[in-house]
Amino acid sequence: MRRLSPVLLVLMAVLLVTACRPPAPPPQDKLAGVLARGTLIVSTDPAYPPQSQLVEGAQRAANTKCASGQHTANELEGFDIEVAKEIARRLGVEVCFVTPSWDLIVAGSWADRWDISIGSMTITPARMEKLYFSQPYYTTPAAFFVHKDNTTFRNPADLSGKRIGFGTGTTYEYYLEGVLEIPGETFEVVVKDTVLKPYETDLFALQDLALGDGVRLDAVLTAEPTGAEAIKDGLPIKQLGDPVFFEYLAAAVDKASSKDPLPLIKRVSEIIQQMHADGTLGKLSQQFYGLDLTSAAAEFDLGALKQW
Amino acid sequence: MDEVPSPSPTLSPLQDPDYAVGLALVRRARRIRFVETVKVGIVWIILVALLTAGLLQLRFDARYLFQHADFVLRGVTTTIGVSLISILFASVLALFGALGRLSRNPIAQGISGFYISVIRGTPLLIQIYFIYLGLPQLGQQLEEIGRPDLARLFTLSEIQAGVLALSLNYGAYMTEIFRAGLQSVGHGQYEAAAALGMTRWQMLRRIVLPQAIRVIIPDIGNQFIAMQKDSALVSVMGIWEITYRANRLARKDAKFIEMLLVAAALYWILTIVSSWLQSRLEKRMAHAYER
Repeated sequence: MRRLSPVLLVLMAVLLVTACRPPAPPPQDKLAGVLARGTLIVSTDPAYPPQSQLVEGAQRAANTKCASGQHTANELEGFDIEVAKEIARRLGVEVCFVTPSWDLIVAGSWADRWDISIGSMTITPARMEKLYFSQPYYTTPAAFFVHKDNTTFRNPADLSGKRIGFGTGTTYEYYLEGVLEIPGETFEVVVKDTVLKPYETDLFALQDLALGDGVRLDAVLTAEPTGAEAIKDGLPIKQLGDPVFFEYLAAAVDKASSKDPLPLIKRVSEIIQQMHADGTLGKLSQQFYGLDLTSAAAEFDLGALKQW
Repeated sequence: MDEVPSPSPTLSPLQDPDYAVGLALVRRARRIRFVETVKVGIVWIILVALLTAGLLQLRFDARYLFQHADFVLRGVTTTIGVSLISILFASVLALFGALGRLSRNPIAQGISGFYISVIRGTPLLIQIYFIYLGLPQLGQQLEEIGRPDLARLFTLSEIQAGVLALSLNYGAYMTEIFRAGLQSVGHGQYEAAAALGMTRWQMLRRIVLPQAIRVIIPDIGNQFIAMQKDSALVSVMGIWEITYRANRLARKDAKFIEMLLVAAALYWILTIVSSWLQSRLEKRMAHAYER
């Protein structure tokens, strides 16, 4: 035994493990796996209220099928969480949550650690390379906001050539530059030749707009809920016309998962369509955002994404 | 005060002037130590007061802080658990790393040198990402060549991935501690063991390690204290330890300073307790060498 070096021991152990092959498990798609397990494992990062946030002082539910690293439905709350709970209910399974950081969710290659992301993820071309998207369950509408005292602007097209504020690196910037692409949607950029005024965040742009009509800015392009929230907080601004484009927010599954994810995402898309049709999603949106952000999502043509 | 008091017969129970001088010296040394402790204590009190005064300048809601500290407090067991398990694995890795470094076998030397270089050469956070995101993809390659059973071993849960990353990382740094510990044992000890006909394993287990461990233990304690704070990085995988709980609760109620204060205070208390345990352990291990 003295001659047996540790390196050799390790090699022998590896050979031993490699030698005994257990029989391969029967091939099964992701949906069948979820139904057989009785749980839908959903990823959510509770860093984004009101979509997903922690519930303080919640105890893990008793008699749960969720594994020890997973969280039960009562430990989290928010719009995404309610949508996830309802989808699981309609699948006839229990919902369990895992909470990896947002980067790890959008990175793809989830290694089957969770089944699906229900986390207000915007459908983008880059993400479509790694993930399959469901029917969107709501949208982030982009709208122009102007000062409350303004009377000269009637609709977004009147803003051509004006000074428009926005957050840098946002889809609003790309829209104004005419380079925004939204999968599954075609839209016309009605505002032309604007003077671009980038800000660190949308909120700073709104505050500059609030200084007075045309003082620093003529308008701000931002998310409809963001503007609505600012108005609620007392900023003297108003929305100008209808939203100019929509970002579609959907559930997603990992293309690289070991079992076929398509039946699952198709079934979830059906359920989301039902939830649009029977008003469940509209009601939840009213509850969490005070606005119905779902109608454009219901009309979205998922087939146009040509995912499968 | 400075001159040694002359022996006084009334003070000496044994009527022995030397004994009285000895007692007086001991008492004087104790008194000096006590005065020093008090002085250091006063400096601490002043610094704590200054820190508190500084922190009170921050805008925060003290009521919220106390009402919600409980939620963060529940992450303490996770932080301690992850750190304890990781420091155990790291110590084992470090022992083998050090043996490899000191070995004359080129393979062992090469492996341990490479391990230390790669791990110390990259940030812990990136190692965590590689273990969590990258390892399963290696596993998938195995699956494609027909080994799904092995592939599953590569997909670690977030706790497993966190413990592996912390163990590998600290193991590399602690290799140097173990190497120094092993080298602190005198050559005569090795020669004596060899003369008794011990094999190399027997020599290590019975002679070298028991002596080296006394040098190593204080440093392991130090690494453990550092690891408690580095374990905050595993929160990126969604482990609900102190930092994760503090950060996500802060996000919920937009109370960042409050929650950061709670987390910082908890880590500090953990460190104070750990340092105290470390000093006790050190004293205990030193008993055999006291004169």
